[in-house]
Amino acid sequence: MSFFGFDSTLPRDRQGGPSATRGFFENPDPFAEVARARALEDDDAIDFEDTYDGLGDQLDDDQDAFNDDTFGGGGPAGPSTGAVGKDFDFFGKTATVADAIGEEQIRYALQHPQAVPVAGQQAQPAAQPEPAFSKRSGYEKYSDPGFIPDLQAKSSVWGVSQKKPEPMPMSMPAMSAARKMMSLDEVEAQMQMRNQGYQPSPVPQAMHPHLADPSAYMRHPQNIPLPDGFPTIPPEVLRAQLERGGLHPGMPHPPPGMPEMHGPPPGIPGMPPHLMQGNPPPQNMPPQGMRQPGPPPNQRAPQQQQQQQQQPQQQQQVPPPTSRGPNGGLPVITDPQQLVHLTEEQRNAYLVEDAKRAKRNHKIFLLSRGNGLMTPQDKNFITRIQLQQLVAAAGNVADSDPEAVLAEDFYYQVYSQIRGAPRQHPHQPLGHFAQTYLLQTGNRIGGHGNRRAFHSADNHMQRMQQQVQRAVEAAKAKPKNKQLIIEGSLGKISFSNAKAPKPMLNIKRPDSSEGPRPKKLHSNLSLSDRKSILTNIEGVYSGLMSMEDMERTMPPPPEEGDADAIQEHMEWRQKARTLNQKLWQSLKVMEPIVPNSTTPHPFIAFLSYPKGKKAIPRIFRHIDQEQRVTILTMIVVHLDSLDVVHLAQPVPGEAQLSVAMRESIDLFSLAVMPSLLGYVNEAPFNIIIGLLGLVIAQTHVQTVARTKVGLGILTMLLSRAEIVKEAGQASEVDWQQWVAKFNVLFDTLEPALADIFTSSINSGDDMYVWQFLAAVGIGASPEQQQRLVIAVKDRVMETVAYSKTLPADMASSRLGNVNLFMRAIGLDVELLG
Amino acid sequence: MLFFSFFKTLTNQTVTIELKNDIRIRGILKSVDQYLNIKLDDIEVLDLDKYPHLSSVKNMFIRGSVVRYVMLPRSEVDVGLLEDATRREAANQAGKAR
Repeated sequence: MSFFGFDSTLPRDRQGGPSATRGFFENPDPFAEVARARALEDDDAIDFEDTYDGLGDQLDDDQDAFNDDTFGGGGPAGPSTGAVGKDFDFFGKTATVADAIGEEQIRYALQHPQAVPVAGQQAQPAAQPEPAFSKRSGYEKYSDPGFIPDLQAKSSVWGVSQKKPEPMPMSMPAMSAARKMMSLDEVEAQMQMRNQGYQPSPVPQAMHPHLADPSAYMRHPQNIPLPDGFPTIPPEVLRAQLERGGLHPGMPHPPPGMPEMHGPPPGIPGMPPHLMQGNPPPQNMPPQGMRQPGPPPNQRAPQQQQQQQQQPQQQQQVPPPTSRGPNGGLPVITDPQQLVHLTEEQRNAYLVEDAKRAKRNHKIFLLSRGNGLMTPQDKNFITRIQLQQLVAAAGNVADSDPEAVLAEDFYYQVYSQIRGAPRQHPHQPLGHFAQTYLLQTGNRIGGHGNRRAFHSADNHMQRMQQQVQRAVEAAKAKPKNKQLIIEGSLGKISFSNAKAPKPMLNIKRPDSSEGPRPKKLHSNLSLSDRKSILTNIEGVYSGLMSMEDMERTMPPPPEEGDADAIQEHMEWRQKARTLNQKLWQSLKVMEPIVPNSTTPHPFIAFLSYPKGKKAIPRIFRHIDQEQRVTILTMIVVHLDSLDVVHLAQPVPGEAQLSVAMRESIDLFSLAVMPSLLGYVNEAPFNIIIGLLGLVIAQTHVQTVARTKVGLGILTMLLSRAEIVKEAGQASEVDWQQWVAKFNVLFDTLEPALADIFTSSINSGDDMYVWQFLAAVGIGASPEQQQRLVIAVKDRVMETVAYSKTLPADMASSRLGNVNLFMRAIGLDVELLG
Repeated sequence: MLFFSFFKTLTNQTVTIELKNDIRIRGILKSVDQYLNIKLDDIEVLDLDKYPHLSSVKNMFIRGSVVRYVMLPRSEVDVGLLEDATRREAANQAGKAR
C-alpha cells in the first residue's frame, strides 16, 4: 500500500494507515502505544528501536502538537508533518489507490458476514439475555490494558480452522470468519482469478452504502456488535462478494496474519470507480493485524487454537442466526468450502434463498425491536387501565341498570331513541357496549396472534373483564372520601373522577330544612306572581316526568290467576294514581275561581307561559277524561282572560300584534288547541252545549271573537255540534238547547262580525276567520245566513278582488278560504265571478 | 354528565367552536368525552387570515377547558327534551347534594 508513501511491506509501517484512519476519532487510542509495545515485544522480526526511533522528535520539532487531534493517533511511524497536509486530499489520494479500495472492500466483505450475524443475535433480545456476549462490546480493551489477550479473543471469532472442525452445525459467523483466515496475498490472487470469471458488479453497489459509513466499522474494527446501520447489510450479499471475489476450493487454512496487507493489491476490474473514490476508509481500515505487527503464522497458531476452543462455547450460547436455518432442497451449508464445491446453479439458488431469508429476518428484527420491553404483567396493567377508562367513559360495565344509565345519560339515550340512534341499538345499554368491545378485542387477539392459543386469549379477556367488573364494584362499594385535608395545608384537595369532575366552586348549600320554607310561605301568599307560577310549572313538569318514568316501569298486564302479577299491577296503578293526583294538584286547576279578581287564576297564569302551554299535550296524555273536561272548562270560562285572548286584542293603528304575542298565539294553537280539539271531538253533546253556554255567560264574546284563539275555540264547539247533528246523535231536547244558545251567540256576535277580521286584507292571515264563519254559517238558519252574508259581504268582495292581483297559487288559496264560508251557506265564489 | 350526554348527540354534526383565545373553528364533531374534549374533523378556521398557521390543519383535538362556546346546529337540538334532561340533571344534583 503506497497510499502514504512509505514502505508498505513492513508491518510497522502500517501504523501510518491506522493513524490516518483514526482521524475519525476525537481521541487517540490511549492504549495503542501500550498495545503496540507489547506486540513488539513479541515480535522478533521488528526491532523496537527501529520502530520507534525519531518519530516523536520529528513531531515535536515541527510543533505539530495537534497532529494527534487531527489524525487521531500519533503513530510512531506516522507520516511526516509535511505529508499531513496532503493527506486531506482524500479524493485525489483515493483515486490513486483505487485498487487498494477495491481490495479493502473485498476484505470488508470478508470481515462483515461475521459482524452481521452478531447484530442479528442482538436483534433477538428475548431469545437470549447474552450477558457474556454483551461484554464483547469492543471496548474491553479500554478497560483491560492487556491488549493482546483481548486480541486473541477476537481473532478467535474469526479463526475457525479446519484443523479444528466445529463440533456442531456451525453458525455462520465462524464460517465466514474461516474464509477470512487466509493471507491477503492469497485473497488477492483469488480475486484476480475470480474477476476474470465473474464480474461482481451488482454486489459492490449493494455494499456501497454500508461501506460509505466508515466510522461505523472503523470504530469497531474487530468483531464486535455493530451499530444499527449494520444489520441492513444482507450478510449473503457480502458472502456473495466473498464468494465471487475470493475463495476457491481447497483453500488452505489461512494464516492468522491475513488481515495485514502486503503490497499493493490488484485492482478489481469490476469495481465502479466512483465507489472506489467514495470509499477511502476501507482502504485504511485497520484490522487488528495492523495494530499488531503480526507474528509469523506459525507463532500464532497455538494462540489461535486456544481461541478456537473458546469460540465454540461462545457461539453455542449464541443461537445461530435464523438465516442459517435449514434451507429446503439445498444442501445445508455449514462451511464456506462447501459452498465452493457446489455447482453454479446450486450456489446461486442457495444465495437467493439466503437473501430471502435474510430479508425476512431483517424485517423480523425491525419488528421485534420492542419485543420484551413490557412484561405480560405490564401489558395486563395497561389493559386494565384502558378498560377502566372505557368503563368510566361509557358508563359502568357492571351498571346494567337501565334506570341508572338513563339518569346519567338521559338526553343522549332519549335523543337516540327519538332521532334514530347514532348507535345501532338504541336500546342497548351502554354496559353491553363495553362488553361488545371486550369481545371484539378478544377476537382480534385470537385472530391475529396465532402464536397464542385462542383459548388463552379468550380466557385472558374474560378474566380481564371480570377483573374490571370487580374493580368497578369495589370502587362503587367503597365509600368515597371526596376531599383530603392535609395537615397544615391551607385548602382541601378534592378528588375527581370521570363521572364527577372536580368542582370548580364549592358552594355551601343552605340547609334544606330551612331554605325552601320561607319561599313556600311566600308562594302561598300570592299564588300568581311570576316566581310562584314558574315554580308551579316546574312542579308540573317534575310530576309529568315522574309519571312518564312510572309509565315506563308499567308491569305487563297480568294474566288470569297470577296473583303476584295482579298484585304488582295493582300496586303500580295505585302509585300511578297517586302521581296523577300530585300532578293534578300541582296544575292547580281546581283552585277556586275568584270572580273579578285582579290576579288570574293559577291555571290560566300557568298557561300564560310558553312552558305551561307546552306542557298541556303531555298533561293530557296522563289525565283522564274528567280531568280533561275540567281543564277545557277552565280554559273556556277564562277565555277572555287568557293571555292569548286578552293581550291579543288588535290595537287600533297597529297593523299587527307584537312578535312575542304572535309567537305566543302560534304556540297556543300548536300546543294547546290540538289537545282541546282532541277532547272536544269526543265530547258528548251536552258538554258542548254547556261549554257554549259558559262562553256566552262568562266571557265577553265580542272580545273573544276578535282573537284567533277565541275564534278557534268557538269554531271547535260549533263544528263539533254540527258533526253531532249530522251524525244524528243529538237528541231533540239537546238540539233545541243548542239552537237557543247558538241564537244568543249569533245575536251577540252580529255587531262584531265586521271586526272579527283583525288583520288587513293583504296579510293573508284570515283563514281561521273564514273557518269560523263557515262553522257559524253551517249551523245558522237561512235568515241568520243572510245576516251573516250582509255582515261580511264587503270582506268577501275585497278578498275576491284582491286575489285577482295575486299570483295564481296565492289567489286560489285566498279564494279557497273564502269558499270555505261561501260553500257553508250554499254559495260559491265563482258565482261572484 | 348532561353536557357530555348532550354533545354526544351532536356527533357527526357541524359545529363551530370558539376557543378562549378567540379562534373560531368550524368542523364536524367526531367525538367528545366526559371532559368535553372535542375532536373535530374537516375543520375550517374562521378568520383564517389571523391564524395562518392553522391553514393546513385538517382535524384537531381540542382540550375541553379551552373551549369558550360551541355553536350548535339548531335543528339538531331537541329543546323540550333538553329542558327535561336539565330538570332531571337538576333533580339528580339536588339528590346528590343531600
